[in-house]
Amino acid sequence: MEASPLIEEIENLKNSFLQVSDRLVKDISRQEKIMLRSDRRQKKEYDELQRKFAEVAALQQEIEETQKEVIFTMGAIGESRSKETGNHVKRVAEYSRMLALHYGLTEAESEMIKQASPMHDIGKVAIPDLILNKPGRFNEAEFEIMKTHAQIGYDMLKHSNRPLLKMAATIAYEHHEKYNGTGYPQGTYGENIHIYGRITAIADVFDALGSERCYKKAWEDEAIFNLFREQSGEHFDPKLVAIFFKHLDSFLLVRRQFADQF
Amino acid sequence: MQDLVIEQTQYTPAISMLTEGKISLIGKSYPENTFEFYKPVIQWLNSFFEEGSVDSLSVTFEIIYFNSSSSKVFFDFFDVLNLNKEDKNIHVIWQHDVDNESALEAGEDFVDDFPDLNITIKTTD
Ligand SMILES: [Fe+2]
Ligand SMILES: [Fe+2]
Repeated sequence: MEASPLIEEIENLKNSFLQVSDRLVKDISRQEKIMLRSDRRQKKEYDELQRKFAEVAALQQEIEETQKEVIFTMGAIGESRSKETGNHVKRVAEYSRMLALHYGLTEAESEMIKQASPMHDIGKVAIPDLILNKPGRFNEAEFEIMKTHAQIGYDMLKHSNRPLLKMAATIAYEHHEKYNGTGYPQGTYGENIHIYGRITAIADVFDALGSERCYKKAWEDEAIFNLFREQSGEHFDPKLVAIFFKHLDSFLLVRRQFADQF
Repeated sequence: MQDLVIEQTQYTPAISMLTEGKISLIGKSYPENTFEFYKPVIQWLNSFFEEGSVDSLSVTFEIIYFNSSSSKVFFDFFDVLNLNKEDKNIHVIWQHDVDNESALEAGEDFVDDFPDLNITIKTTD
């Protein structure tokens, strides 16, 4: 028959077309299967990652909370040795944060100052009870011993690599420096005193004067304000004194919020 | 033919293909160009079946995480094994960590897709 070679050729074409299309169909359906499985697998892995991230975040928070608590406790120990009340620490912390923020430091740095400032008197753990608990004024020799708490506090904290403890070391070291250079332990002046030290100085004194202690009555507000005006540029950084008066209402609000209960 | 050994990186597994008939892929598989990366692997496998003189081949997969393209390459890899299962005694071990469920499921998928291959799933505690 004449048509048979043609038919044979067509048959062959048909067969190879069927083979190729078979393989294509198989490949395509395999491809779909692979994508489906990959999607399912990757979703699982994504869920797993999310779970781990959440775990890490929780741990991170735990660490931060612990750090805050340790630091706060250290501050409270320092203050318990210095005839101050627990709320003094909280108020100084909050005043320091506000001063830092209005001075132009970032939110994060201001928050750190809030956490570090309560440790300013940690060095007092090394001052003998006899001197610490003495009612009334110190004599000169006693005052010299008292003054060492700044250096001692610094020595306690300076070896840490933690940013917060480094900041606390600076604060412990410089919170008794005065803007005019007559403070201690170094007698540095002006902006050579670290801003952390200048901030804590004003926060600490404002609170100490306004609080009643076993050895003294609380000062009247007017007397405190007069002293601040007088000491602007002497004891205190004038910029910070200006900030203090500009935002006086919010400072007084914090003082009421964290008032001591008797 | 020679052994093929590829060191592990952050994104690619440690690969060892020995002419004595031992293959292992261990680690993660997120290559930047997956098909390029696995080209020598598939090539080696093909020449092993063409030229290799040993009778058996043992393959260990211990892949923790892998991208979709790797999954396609592993399919191709199993295809080659499947084509040659009559000529050599092939044993595949799919190893996964006890709490890596998705690696276990991937292994089970290969068992389903290649019912004639000798694949064992092993769990590491
Ligand atoms: Fe002090
Ligand atoms: Fe204080």
